[in-house]
Amino acid sequence: MEQLAFTALSVLTLACALGVVLSKNAVNGAMCLLLCLAGIAGLFVQLHAYLLAFVLILVYAGAVVALFLFIIMLLDMQGGQPWRPRVASLVAGVVAAALLITGLDLLAVRGRIADAAPVGHSVGSSLKLYAYQLFTTYLLPVQVMGFLLLVAMLGVVVLSRRMAEPEDPR
Amino acid sequence: MDFPSLRELAAGNPWPAIWPELSLGCLALLLLVLETVLPRAARKGIPAVSILGQLGILAVLLANFDTAYRETFNGLLMQSPSGQVMRVFFLVSSIFVSILARASLPGRGVPRVEFHHIVLVVAAAMMLLVQSRNFIMLFVALETVTVGLYILVSYTRSNPRTLEAGLKYLVMGALSSALLLFGIVLLYGVAGSPGLAGRTGEAMQFVGLSQFLGANPHNFVAAAGIVLVLSGLAFKIGAFPFQIWVPDVYQGAPTPVTALLAVASKAAGFVVLLVLVTEVFAAYEWLVGPVLTFMAAATILFGNLAALKQNNVKRLIGLSGVSHAGFILLAVASVGQGPRAVGAVYFYLIAYLIASFAVFGVMTILSGPDDTTQELSDYCGLAKESPFLGGVLACGLGSLAGIPPLAGFAAKLFVFVAAFRAGHFGLLAVAIAGVVISIYYYFGWIRAAYFNDEAPISPEIAQRARTGGGRVLRITLAALAAATVVLGLYQGPLGRLVSGH
Repeated sequence: MEQLAFTALSVLTLACALGVVLSKNAVNGAMCLLLCLAGIAGLFVQLHAYLLAFVLILVYAGAVVALFLFIIMLLDMQGGQPWRPRVASLVAGVVAAALLITGLDLLAVRGRIADAAPVGHSVGSSLKLYAYQLFTTYLLPVQVMGFLLLVAMLGVVVLSRRMAEPEDPR
Repeated sequence: MDFPSLRELAAGNPWPAIWPELSLGCLALLLLVLETVLPRAARKGIPAVSILGQLGILAVLLANFDTAYRETFNGLLMQSPSGQVMRVFFLVSSIFVSILARASLPGRGVPRVEFHHIVLVVAAAMMLLVQSRNFIMLFVALETVTVGLYILVSYTRSNPRTLEAGLKYLVMGALSSALLLFGIVLLYGVAGSPGLAGRTGEAMQFVGLSQFLGANPHNFVAAAGIVLVLSGLAFKIGAFPFQIWVPDVYQGAPTPVTALLAVASKAAGFVVLLVLVTEVFAAYEWLVGPVLTFMAAATILFGNLAALKQNNVKRLIGLSGVSHAGFILLAVASVGQGPRAVGAVYFYLIAYLIASFAVFGVMTILSGPDDTTQELSDYCGLAKESPFLGGVLACGLGSLAGIPPLAGFAAKLFVFVAAFRAGHFGLLAVAIAGVVISIYYYFGWIRAAYFNDEAPISPEIAQRARTGGGRVLRITLAALAAATVVLGLYQGPLGRLVSGH
């Protein structure tokens, strides 16, 4: 049963990931991304990483993909020129894929990662423990994240504002 | 009433320990508040508030300079003497960047206060970055730096070159962050894997990870993670083979941002690299040593050879910056054999800071509204028109080239001595060849400024050379030029740092 669910979820994830790359219609691509994320969340559930699965659905599938859809609708990206691969980019893609597969194979063969038993109550498996860590041990990074978001927001304002007329210096 | 969690919270997070970072953050927020409450006429003084505030923090920091090694924030940060040096380093560079921005941003139709705000936040994040001893803290601080730099690089986006630079930096920065993150995750995963000796759940902590790596010195997954982490950092410092973004981004970014990228961002990358190589990856010397050696040689050769053919001054500075990254990598590669190499890295960074800002200051004064198109020929006859700017330029470029008695010569000497002691003779030969090549193109620039009478200087540039920049920037440049000479002859307390006492 478990093996069957794993296979089904993996096939779903991979097929949808291919769909993101190959689909000509941008809205279809975004929908495939949504399903792909749902598949990954399912795989996380199988690994007993419930919180991670939940956050993935909530943040990525819920917020980020919805944002993508808005932007696609806003920019009206339908019916662009079909993409024609050049020889150079095809060769580069094949070489990169070969390198990646070799690397993964090496990692699987030589990595000798032991079968991991599901971790019990560590960070990530329980929301309360996670939140506790976030606001005690990792309080400083959380505060720094606040500044990061402030800077990002300012950047959006600055970069999207219409340029003013040059003012006289000093 | 008793709140044990609150007490634990207060004990684990000693906020006064990071007061320089906190006060920089508060100063940054103050600038935004001032912009909303002050009347329009008074807002022109906000950049001056930023610079004066930073000078105040610098004064207090120098007065309380001495510190012991101390873990703070539950081991997320480590206070250390070298951390103090880097705090001063980043504060000084952000002061210089603010001064350059104050002189160059007006008249270009972009908001000014936000620029200074972001520079302050980036400087504070860099300070945290070099003190962090935990991968989560490291990544959060790094992303704050990077996101700030994405915005700053594309700040004058009406210029198509700037926009191109912003996009390239965004894509390359995202790629490098992804590589770094993937490496961290691999290391974390393998360190928590049951069945391996010394497995730990605290692998985000540098101490825990280095103990695990010490127990498993030949693990393949860990090696893959280390290579990925090194690649991510190589992007940030612009080392071969990840230097591809450097010329375009350095050319397109506004000049103060180019200075920030060239000096502070690179220095932050190097200090993180140094911490990782000495404290965490020590057991993987068999892997890290050859990787760094190859990178150093290729970076020195690539940077110098590519800079030979450049006519645009910002591209030239960018590519010569790649070669400087190579020289510093040479010192990092020699770290395993002696503590002097660590001091050599810090001294090189400081000498590079002083010389680079002198050159960037001259570039800022001479550039018009479009600062991406400055050619070497624009400098013809500069020394005749303004002997002061010519002198500053000669000091800066001479120091970058490593001409005695300037600071750059001492810095290169310390690095070469460290490499010699470590026995990197082949690398040393490559580095000396690199120095010879670099003297050629730096002197091409100096020759244009001093000895070229064929093409007369254009009237606008002559006008800017005589009066541009404002008093503050000119005094700063004079101080920088003096510092290159003084630091070359007398290293003082910095010399003690280099000699490892």
